[in-house]
Amino acid sequence: MIHLPREETKAMVAVHGWSGILLGLLLYAVVLTGTAAVFAEEIGAWSAGHLATQSAFERPMAETLRRLGDETPAQYREAVDLFETGDHDLGLFFHRHEMDGGELISRGLFYVIGQDGRVTHRQQGTNEDVYGARNDNALSAFLVDTHVRLHVPNPWGLLLTGILGLSMLVAAISGLLIHRHLFKDIFTLRRSGSAVLANRDAHSVAGTWSLPFAFILAFTGSFFSFFGTVGMPVVAMAAFGGNVQALTEAVYGNPGKPDPRPAAIGNMDRINADAIARAGAIPTFVTIENFGRADAKVTTYHPPKAAAIAPMSLLYDGATAAFLQEKPLIGPKPSAGGTLAAIMSPLHFGNFAGLLSKAIWFGLGFAMCYVTYTGIRLWLVRREGGVRSFAWLERTNMVVGLGLPFALAASAAAFLLAMPLGSATWWTPAGFLVGAALAVGAGAIAPDAARLSAWLRNATAVLLLALPPVRLLTGGPSWGRAFAAGQPIIVTLDIAFLLAGGWMLWSLRDRAHAHRPSIALQPAE
Amino acid sequence: MMTLLTLTAILISATLILLLGLGDPKRRRAARQGEGQGSPLRRLLAVGAFLPGLTFILFSDAAAILLWLGGTAVAGWVVTLVLASKSNAKGMRREGANASKKHN
Repeated sequence: MIHLPREETKAMVAVHGWSGILLGLLLYAVVLTGTAAVFAEEIGAWSAGHLATQSAFERPMAETLRRLGDETPAQYREAVDLFETGDHDLGLFFHRHEMDGGELISRGLFYVIGQDGRVTHRQQGTNEDVYGARNDNALSAFLVDTHVRLHVPNPWGLLLTGILGLSMLVAAISGLLIHRHLFKDIFTLRRSGSAVLANRDAHSVAGTWSLPFAFILAFTGSFFSFFGTVGMPVVAMAAFGGNVQALTEAVYGNPGKPDPRPAAIGNMDRINADAIARAGAIPTFVTIENFGRADAKVTTYHPPKAAAIAPMSLLYDGATAAFLQEKPLIGPKPSAGGTLAAIMSPLHFGNFAGLLSKAIWFGLGFAMCYVTYTGIRLWLVRREGGVRSFAWLERTNMVVGLGLPFALAASAAAFLLAMPLGSATWWTPAGFLVGAALAVGAGAIAPDAARLSAWLRNATAVLLLALPPVRLLTGGPSWGRAFAAGQPIIVTLDIAFLLAGGWMLWSLRDRAHAHRPSIALQPAE
Repeated sequence: MMTLLTLTAILISATLILLLGLGDPKRRRAARQGEGQGSPLRRLLAVGAFLPGLTFILFSDAAAILLWLGGTAVAGWVVTLVLASKSNAKGMRREGANASKKHN
């Protein structure tokens, strides 16, 4: 592998260690919630008990769209977003774009159309109100928000996660440079030697196997964090006199001669049917520009086609419903930059090939959590018995490393209990905070690291085992109903939680037997 | 069909990685299991493990390449963990037997 001179290797080891130790715990939180968020859509369906399988884009909507367009004030007809919300209901957001404190926002009227075609919800607000957490998606929204910005207000939260992504990139590159026997050691996991050796092997083996994806996930994650907070404002300042709206229109819009003559919107049902046939998949999102005008344009966004990883978007004439072209993500014509920008999302979220790609990305995310956690442990055991004591950091690492899964399981339990009462948006984060407080409390009173580890693992296992029964007892659909409705994901996640909880309890029992003869304090878990 | 093909490719690579892991000289020395495979055999197994991915590259199937790479990486890590727990369990049994012999 790469052989650096001794001094440079020492410097790299220092860079690797300190980049991990300074931001490692926050990075662990971001990676762990990101790993769970890979299945955000499935967790949303499981937690809310969604049973509908027919997409809103497969049901007639043209008449409803025209009627609501007529009812909506002209000031909010600049654009319309169409997307699925709740249990395959249709969300229609008529809005205009405006700047608010230097930030581009959308403001308008939001309608939810139920499966029977009737308006079930009407609300005036901004994009933050429309796309924020609701009672039925509070759990998945909480997971995503924790991953994206750690609940720190914008833009600071995004900047923080962007910096964490960069620190992960630094750790991955420096790790590659300092590892002298990358392939020779790839199967070597010594567990019976010294604590340093065992932790070093655990850290480097998981790190080596997941190395290419550490680069990919760190880079794409930083890209998403810095794109809106740094990239867009800087480019807008350099080329558009600071006008972010003009930049957005130039990059994502559809150039053409403006034609403000009034014209009824074309048949949306025809557009949906054509788009589904061309893309071979239901749209994930649809936008209409210049609604009610002769120059209206409809863009439908779809998951990637087979063998591709870039999502697909199709452009239609809004007034005539005629297909115009396959549209690149950026600009009016295909470009290398446009393709690169388009593959960022599937590379980061692993959502390009259904459940298989999500399962693999989940596994990779788990490996990266393990790398981060064992990396901090390695740094600590190397300093054991030194002049300075890092016992507090060892305990903190355990509280975060094992307490975070416990707090996430607690937030899921809180969601299941609160959703039927309509207060899940409040109780989901509250449940997380209660779980986190319990983990911190356990960290404060536990007599030793082994006991703290056992407490947190036991508590997490019990909560995971309790989630499926709690879901059923609070009115969630039974396995029979889920299967009959064609929603096996509900059953799959129930089984996954039961298996995870059972495995944790079993491994603890195994560990207790293995450690019984020893009365000495075990190395930090 | 595509999913099945990708899964088969991952399975083939994972099986060859398992064989590589079983005969890995350093792992076997650390677990006191004797000598490992020779270099020619290991090279052959490594090339075999990469073949499914190379096939996807030849067919320019970007999604399958990524799935294969990610799936194989996860499978490789799991194989290493399983092999370690097996040799660890054997080691513990061996230690236990030695301890009881001493005791007797």
